[in-house]
Amino acid sequence: MTPGFARVGVVALRVVRQLKRDRRTIGLIVFAPIVLMILFGYALSGEMSGIALGLVDEGGHALLRQHIESIPDYEILYLGSESDAERLIGEAQLDGAVLLSPDGVRVLLDASSLQISGAIAAAVQAGAGRETAAKAGQKGAGPITTRYIFGYDLEMMDTVGPAILGLVVFFFTFINAAIAFIRERAQGSLEKFMVSPLSRLEMVSGYVLGFSLFTVLQSATTLFVVTAFFGVPLKGSPLTAMMVVVLLGAGALVLGCFFSNFARSEFQVVQFIPLIITPQIVLCGIWWPLQSVPEVIRPFSYILPLTYAADALRAVMLRGAGVTDILYPDLLALGLFFLVFFTAATMMLRREVA
Amino acid sequence: MAMGGAGPAIYARGISKSFGRQRVLDGLSVQIPSGITYCLLGANGSGKTTFIRAAVGLLRLDGGELSVLGRPVGEVGKIYSQIGYMTQHKALYPDLTVQENMEFYAGLYGLTKKEREERMSDLLQMVDLAAQKGRLAGALSGGMYQRLSLACTLIHQPRLLLLDEPTVGVDPRLRQSFWEYFNRLAEDGKTVLITTHLMDEAEKCRRVGYMRAGRMAAEGSPEEILSLAGLSPILKLWLAGQQEAAALLTAEGYPATVREGVVLVELRDRSSVKEILALVEPLDMRLVEPTLEEAFVLLAEER
Repeated sequence: MTPGFARVGVVALRVVRQLKRDRRTIGLIVFAPIVLMILFGYALSGEMSGIALGLVDEGGHALLRQHIESIPDYEILYLGSESDAERLIGEAQLDGAVLLSPDGVRVLLDASSLQISGAIAAAVQAGAGRETAAKAGQKGAGPITTRYIFGYDLEMMDTVGPAILGLVVFFFTFINAAIAFIRERAQGSLEKFMVSPLSRLEMVSGYVLGFSLFTVLQSATTLFVVTAFFGVPLKGSPLTAMMVVVLLGAGALVLGCFFSNFARSEFQVVQFIPLIITPQIVLCGIWWPLQSVPEVIRPFSYILPLTYAADALRAVMLRGAGVTDILYPDLLALGLFFLVFFTAATMMLRREVA
Repeated sequence: MAMGGAGPAIYARGISKSFGRQRVLDGLSVQIPSGITYCLLGANGSGKTTFIRAAVGLLRLDGGELSVLGRPVGEVGKIYSQIGYMTQHKALYPDLTVQENMEFYAGLYGLTKKEREERMSDLLQMVDLAAQKGRLAGALSGGMYQRLSLACTLIHQPRLLLLDEPTVGVDPRLRQSFWEYFNRLAEDGKTVLITTHLMDEAEKCRRVGYMRAGRMAAEGSPEEILSLAGLSPILKLWLAGQQEAAALLTAEGYPATVREGVVLVELRDRSSVKEILALVEPLDMRLVEPTLEEAFVLLAEER
């Protein structure tokens, strides 16, 4: 059957009318993301848990080095020279660096995060104190000099913000879509569609169209909040960023439609959250880089749409990437995800009836 | 009839369908002629809804032959625009207004704006919801909701209407107007198939089918069903000396019994009323016509 665009439009219009009237859902679509962003924003503007520390060892401080290496929080990068360390701090690759030489200890710190700087300075002091105690009577650790470097102020929120934007849209679209389809089934309209000229393809397409209008709204508000309130840079085009979000939202919609087949009530839809949403949060590389995801489960990261959306949004917002830069693999993967679940959702509707 | 020469709207021969071990349709055969109102009666679980769902292609039959509007049921998808299907679920959107619900269904069937507006005002009149046009469907009473659901089913003027319990919760006055409307549709050559629990509604239909355990237990016009059950009108007589009167009447060939102080005479021939009255001279009398309900109870007991 050729899809009737008029009928797709009829379904889309109805979806929009319904959502428009559902004030609580509108509230959720617009304000919940803002609240979430603010919450994440404040929680994450502070310190990082994994401190990246550069180490330049020119000898003479074995004990101090041992002490620093033994602190589990630190990811230590061994460097050849002070200028390397300085450059990396400037690029926000490192939070600080320690230079050990027989003449003394020099500490370079990133001025943008006082908590991290303080933590590093304290660790060096503690290590030096041990050294002094061990070498009692001999010459001390030597003077410790500290220098601050004003690097680019890239807070955690900057790297996480774009990904959270995707997460928030994904989450709400998935839940709303799954519930909408549960209702179609419960109130009998789905069965009525089956006995009408409306094809399954047209029906799902209509939903995608109707919901996408709201995803656009949602992506615009969240984009505004992360950039205006939290100063997350938006170097690329906001339209490109919104396009990524809308594509992700379309994927979440068909996923919700697909999974609505496995739920009997709205209550059960909510139970999908830990099953469908949480893995994406954990594995998409927002909080922990994909490299830190154990290799056994890493393939899962690469089939989850949020992984690609997060990557694409970071590229657009932080590096100013254009559409062609994120076409492969991100947009392609998101498009593929949408198509696979669009097909699956359409086919599941058929099976339901037979 | 207007659709003279047309074949049956629905033709079923020996159709069967099981859900698990339960046989819901058990070799059902029935012909529903075009252009009439047809009532499908039967207790819950007798297979009425399953039959309708099979006729619109929502179920795959285990066996038998089924055709709808002249097409085998496998092709029924091609003629969905000619079918109006109203399920027991109302299939309405509570967060849309009455008008928006109707517009939505009109849109699915590709009606033009002009067609839509015309039919909407007609149907809203018929279901008495014109004043509620702008109200949210969710705010309507149960009966109004039901009426809106019917209006949405009729918006595309289907040739074949399959209505599963359309009059539940509708008050008697409106039910009357529904039936007038259904009969008008039938006069226009449309076929209206209705399931109901209400016997008095069945009597308003041209034909009645009584389903039991997935089969047609009795089928025909209401009059045919009554005679099939062998039911005669009952003459109720109020008089003194009931036992003696009953014995006398029975002896004269008018079978009579006494129940709650009233003599009940089975009237096999209506013209014998005069003779009966001459025999016993009652204080008062009343003629009670048999009901379909009694007929079905009787038919159900016989099997």
